[in-house]
Amino acid sequence: MAASTDTNNRSLLRTARGKLALTAGPSTIWLGLLLLAPLTFMVTVSFMNINEAYNIVWQPSLDNYGQLTGPGLPWESSFWNTAFMESLLLSYVIAIVTTVMCFSLAFPLAYLLARKGGRVFKVVIFLVLLPFFTMYLVRAYSWLLMFGPNGVLNATLLKLGMISEPLAVFNFGVPAIIVGLTHAYFPYMLLSLYASLDGIDFSLVEAARDLGASRPAVLKDVILPLALPGIISGSLFVFVPSLGAFITPRFLGQGKVLMIGQLIEERINSLYAIGYGSAGSMFIVLTIVVAFALAFRYVDVDELGGV
Amino acid sequence: MATNTENTTDVTTVERFFDHRTRERWLRRGLYGIAGLLLVFLWIPLAVMVFLSVAQNASTLFPFEGFTLQHYAATFSDPGLMMALFNSAQVATVAACIATVLGVLASFALARREFPLKSAFRTFGILPMIVPGVVLGIALLIYFRTLLSAIPVVGDLFVPGFLTLVLTHSVYGFPFVLLIVSARLYTFDEQLEEAARDLGASPLETFRDVTLPIIAPAVGAGFLFAWIRSFEDFIRAFFTKGTMDVLTTAMFSMIKYGAAPKMNAISAFIVLVIAILLAVAMNLGNVTQYVAGGPDE
Repeated sequence: MAASTDTNNRSLLRTARGKLALTAGPSTIWLGLLLLAPLTFMVTVSFMNINEAYNIVWQPSLDNYGQLTGPGLPWESSFWNTAFMESLLLSYVIAIVTTVMCFSLAFPLAYLLARKGGRVFKVVIFLVLLPFFTMYLVRAYSWLLMFGPNGVLNATLLKLGMISEPLAVFNFGVPAIIVGLTHAYFPYMLLSLYASLDGIDFSLVEAARDLGASRPAVLKDVILPLALPGIISGSLFVFVPSLGAFITPRFLGQGKVLMIGQLIEERINSLYAIGYGSAGSMFIVLTIVVAFALAFRYVDVDELGGV
Repeated sequence: MATNTENTTDVTTVERFFDHRTRERWLRRGLYGIAGLLLVFLWIPLAVMVFLSVAQNASTLFPFEGFTLQHYAATFSDPGLMMALFNSAQVATVAACIATVLGVLASFALARREFPLKSAFRTFGILPMIVPGVVLGIALLIYFRTLLSAIPVVGDLFVPGFLTLVLTHSVYGFPFVLLIVSARLYTFDEQLEEAARDLGASPLETFRDVTLPIIAPAVGAGFLFAWIRSFEDFIRAFFTKGTMDVLTTAMFSMIKYGAAPKMNAISAFIVLVIAILLAVAMNLGNVTQYVAGGPDE
């Protein structure tokens, strides 16, 4: 028996097909069963009739979507007038603002790192990556300590006498969520930007300067176009998880703000409302598909690095 | 400043007031300033948390009541929390092992084989990293609980618990191994393997004695990343854990019931552990590449 397995292995390794089956096969099966099948099942469930006991009735229906959106069609205001749609729009706004924040914070640092390199680089990268690899939950929690009427920010400012009563902006709410998400996903943006800026030939920058281009012009006409793949992939890496965020809005919204991820989670965990959960998740999935399709129109797949 | 207000139209006149080098220096200082502020932004909440973990007053800075290690003592003698920590380590280890085996094999397919739909295979392999946690968690929960649990005989295996957690995290950790190991294989000199084969080594011997030692650091880093990803994941575990608690879900319920002192201590402890692991991983390979990198180093 052992001998025959051995010869099997040998013949598997000898032919190109066998080698491919051995290397690509197991992960294809694994991901097929544990990624593709669950996602396909979820899409199917979202288009099925779900009865009151939250069991699937195998009958195609759009009811799950109907309970998310209001009555009417997308151009009528009643369509948008539900808790889910409002929360969806708010999630878009928060995710977009977070992406812009991450970009404006990460760009100067990525530029500096790309131009410098060396030992300073390694230390700075370590200092950036460490908070990044620290448990996501812990980072969201650390901002929970900072915000709030009695949080560290308000308490410190009060103590220093700079304010006389707690500032609303440092209370829990949308600003706190944006800060928390920016803190959470900033390194994705930084590393994507760095990866593309690092490949830039900086003699191009000097050439443009020598030829009389002003600094803003060089930034606009030379650096930004060259960094475009990094900007796009970094934005995707920040936008996508921000849109589906759960912990950060939960901790830093303290019930005052509901993002789409929280809404879906609540229905699934308290009621196991699989129709609502599946259909709601489809909005996130669809947004991601559209975002990636748009990104690929401007950047080559390979240029997107990890994506 | 004064120069600016006096002269708004002619920029070159302003520029003449500044030596080129001075301007360069100020620009560089500005950049360093921004970089410094960013690091402060990234670190301040964590620093505050670590500070509060050893402070008598656990939830806010003022009034400060002195230092203590009692929060740590209470944390490490909390049986529920320690059980959850043990569960997390167990799930992460098994899941990372699976992810590593599958990821290393798939990396060979990517780096060494030509086949149709190769880029689709790559995208598919990276998908678990892109799909938001809420979506992956719910999709797997519905899949396990509604579909697989209904299968006769084997159905019971898929009632959410240890096995479903491991399966979930093995999928989640896979892309990290794939990215790290395939990046290493792309830069690997294939002639070394050919030489070994020419000298009479079997494919398995070549793999064991030539290929494996060279890619070992990348495999190690891949395992470590998959492990950390599983260990720190909350949202996917939250859906597929069933009644079993892992560290993140135990911490989440702690915050719900407002046990900040223990939360600070366990969080500060995790920051320390991750710092050590990260330092090790960074010495094993190019971490930057792993997070944002592609096939070309």
